[in-house]
Amino acid sequence: MHVLGGLSLIPTFTVSGLALGGVYALAATGLVLIYRVSGVLNFAHGAVAMFATFVAYQVSQVMGLPVLLGLLAAVVTGAVLGFCIEYFTIRPLMGRSPLTKVAVTIGWLLVLQTLAGLIWGDTSYHGAIRVVPQGGFKVPGIDLIIGYDRLTIFVVAMSLSLGIAALLRYTTLGAAMRAVADNPATARLWGINVNRVTAVSWMLGSAVAAVAGVLITPLINFDTYSLTIIVIDAFTAALIGRLVSLPMTLVGAVLLGCAQEWPTAFTSNGGFAQVSTFALVLIALAVLYRPSVGGAKLRTRVA
Amino acid sequence: MNIAARPRRTLVGAGIAVALIIPALLSPFDQDEAALAAITAMLVVSVVVLSGYVGQISFCQFSFAAIGAFTTGALVDGQGWSFWLAMPVGVVAAAAVGVLVGIPALRLTGLLLSVLTVAVALFFDRFVLATDTLPAFSGGSLQWHPHKPSLFGVQLTGEYGFYLFTFAMFLLVVLLVWNLRSGKAGRVLRAVRDSELAAATMGLNVTAWKLAAFGLSAGIAGLAGCLLAVANESVSAGSYDFLHSVQLLAIATVWGVGVLTAAALGGAFFVYGPELLAKTPLSAKWFSLILGAVLVAQLVYSPDGIIPKVAEDIRHALHRRRGDASMPPADAPVVEVA
Amino acid sequence: MALLTVDRVSKRFGGVFALQDVSFEVREGEIAGLIGPNGAGKTTMFNIVSGVFDPDDGTVRYGDHDLHGMRPHRRARMGIARTFQNLQLFGRMTVLENLMVPVDAASQRGMLADALRLPVARFEEHRAEERARAMLHFLGLSDVADSVAGALSVGIQRRVELARALCLRPRLLLLDEPAAGLDVRETADLAATLVRVRDRFDLTMLLVDHDMALVMRTCEHIYVLDFGRVIAEGPPEQIRQDPSVIAAYLGEAAA
Repeated sequence: MHVLGGLSLIPTFTVSGLALGGVYALAATGLVLIYRVSGVLNFAHGAVAMFATFVAYQVSQVMGLPVLLGLLAAVVTGAVLGFCIEYFTIRPLMGRSPLTKVAVTIGWLLVLQTLAGLIWGDTSYHGAIRVVPQGGFKVPGIDLIIGYDRLTIFVVAMSLSLGIAALLRYTTLGAAMRAVADNPATARLWGINVNRVTAVSWMLGSAVAAVAGVLITPLINFDTYSLTIIVIDAFTAALIGRLVSLPMTLVGAVLLGCAQEWPTAFTSNGGFAQVSTFALVLIALAVLYRPSVGGAKLRTRVA
Repeated sequence: MNIAARPRRTLVGAGIAVALIIPALLSPFDQDEAALAAITAMLVVSVVVLSGYVGQISFCQFSFAAIGAFTTGALVDGQGWSFWLAMPVGVVAAAAVGVLVGIPALRLTGLLLSVLTVAVALFFDRFVLATDTLPAFSGGSLQWHPHKPSLFGVQLTGEYGFYLFTFAMFLLVVLLVWNLRSGKAGRVLRAVRDSELAAATMGLNVTAWKLAAFGLSAGIAGLAGCLLAVANESVSAGSYDFLHSVQLLAIATVWGVGVLTAAALGGAFFVYGPELLAKTPLSAKWFSLILGAVLVAQLVYSPDGIIPKVAEDIRHALHRRRGDASMPPADAPVVEVA
Repeated sequence: MALLTVDRVSKRFGGVFALQDVSFEVREGEIAGLIGPNGAGKTTMFNIVSGVFDPDDGTVRYGDHDLHGMRPHRRARMGIARTFQNLQLFGRMTVLENLMVPVDAASQRGMLADALRLPVARFEEHRAEERARAMLHFLGLSDVADSVAGALSVGIQRRVELARALCLRPRLLLLDEPAAGLDVRETADLAATLVRVRDRFDLTMLLVDHDMALVMRTCEHIYVLDFGRVIAEGPPEQIRQDPSVIAAYLGEAAA
């Protein structure tokens, strides 16, 4: 480990960390949205993002269409998948235990994962989907080049995340979602179409995950497995937000991204990024969760 | 399963007989597969212990198995130990890690705990088992190749002999878990599952028991890992990753997490499923997809698992034929959690 | 001799005082009652004594021991048992199994003895079952021994919960609204049962309820709470006629 050399690389890896964190924030926001409104922890979140991203790849890299069209295709795919999962396989399970619903998402994880592997091959490397051309600008004063792609990723991801938060707080739809999240039975009494709001939350959450998937391709190994797993990393960001607080989730996501990138400044063993990730999770657990008689309770929807 | 004792014993006896006789007639390759099926069945039991008794979904069972496997590899291949000494070390190591994972997990419940196990699984996949991190443990860039053990001088390299060994280990684990289930531990864990508050006020140290459940589940997975290492005579990190844990959970759920013996059949399913698929126009790769689809379909239609549903249907049919009016109501719990 | 001493206990939730400077004691062998209208602080007091949380001020003493910070399972080991207002049976287990759990909790053997079916395990198992069955017989529950606890009627479930608490062999039994959900006849049966239990097992009991019939019938000494304070104490006849008690209850719609 070269500590001195490492320290000078921190700014560079902070930029990457922020970009990564932005993507985590976006993915985690979608996850928390789905969880809060429908009470289901969607373990297929990563797989949905991955599948949508590969659709984008198919459209833009393979079929040669403009990248933004590919991005649009991904968003649509994400929304459609989210809807299908909710409408066909979660809604029929209303009233069953949350664990049953989670198990359904596990099934979807396997289906989407394998399907993508069958269609696009499971180990091949695919060229990253670059929404923004490469190149960057030098920051005056310090030895740092900020890539346009990383900057764009960060800005787009954070904007969308904050946008979702704003939607929840300031729009009618958001109010309806929060009402359903609090108590679906009461929301129904208020005339809110709980089923529709739930479906929308799944579509929106999954669409947002799709964008995250597309954005992240330049930063990581782009193959069916890695992409799924990366988005599952967003779960740990959500863990820091206790799956309830969006601001904390964003903070957790950015911390997570940086915690994963910084070690690379010091060592070539990519695994050490995991140490900081795990340490972050443990610290979050120690600080944010107080044990009670039944353990920290996860708010789950009753109906 | 909630059926009378005598028919159950006959069924189990028949099952064991089948499991002993049929593999003897198969090709050596299929006998290897049979051993893997027995090992997978043991892994399913480890899932049952945790989710059936403590109600937790763990996404890192294969990580615990990896501890057993890599310990075996490191000690048998790297240090020249006998398998019989390495195995208990592997099991204890896995159990210890299980307890360690349990400690932060106790602050959480249900889904949050599952997320923690995901983090654990990924931590193992990318760091602990990465080639550069702990070469003494993971074998570095060369994989471990532990050879199969010999018992009383008789080499167990014969495929059928090795299968008998793994099957015997599986039966041993099932027996131990069954004894626990019928005794104090089973009652205590089920009590904790039903009402932690009441369990505590009845004098149970809930924390200690939950940790014990974690340790037991991880230990069983670790044992399976030790066996897996010598079954394949190689240990590679890719075989113990997060995705494998996900598949294991799917298998356990499809076959009924709550039913000990039925879950064991899931092991056979996991190993022979891809085999059978390979013989069809679909390739073996389709197995995960079908598994996922079956899981989803089954949860939507019959959440307790295929086997309990089939058993229930049979019971209904039998009782209807006998004109028995004493059937329990349809929504009464049929599956006694193992 | 006081088995349970509550000394100037206070508890705040946010800005509200649930309990203010509450003191009382329960003498050994006595059945004491803690009553008061809804919101008086009975449940809070009960939770403090049973260990769900600690008071902000004051002490709770059990014999010579200060119970501060002692978690529920340790209080159980010291001989304090409780029942629950909203019934906390082990719903998916049989009645017999429910009763064996406290006996299990007291036994020292670990998992290994059970796993290997060692003689000590089989012996203790047999003994635990015998104790459970004896308790079932005493409370007239023998015919539901193998029924799933969650499927029984409320009246029977309450008796099962009582039986389970008794299997702990407690010295102090805390009863949280044991008459909730019971009709007049069942409540009368319960009153008789509680006295019988106290006599047979040489127990001390603290009963919290707002069903006056049960409390008047069973308790020998009653403390009345209102708005977190003790407003009266004494034997039932005295409490029945106490003007401040009557006034407190007139504030309540239900009798």
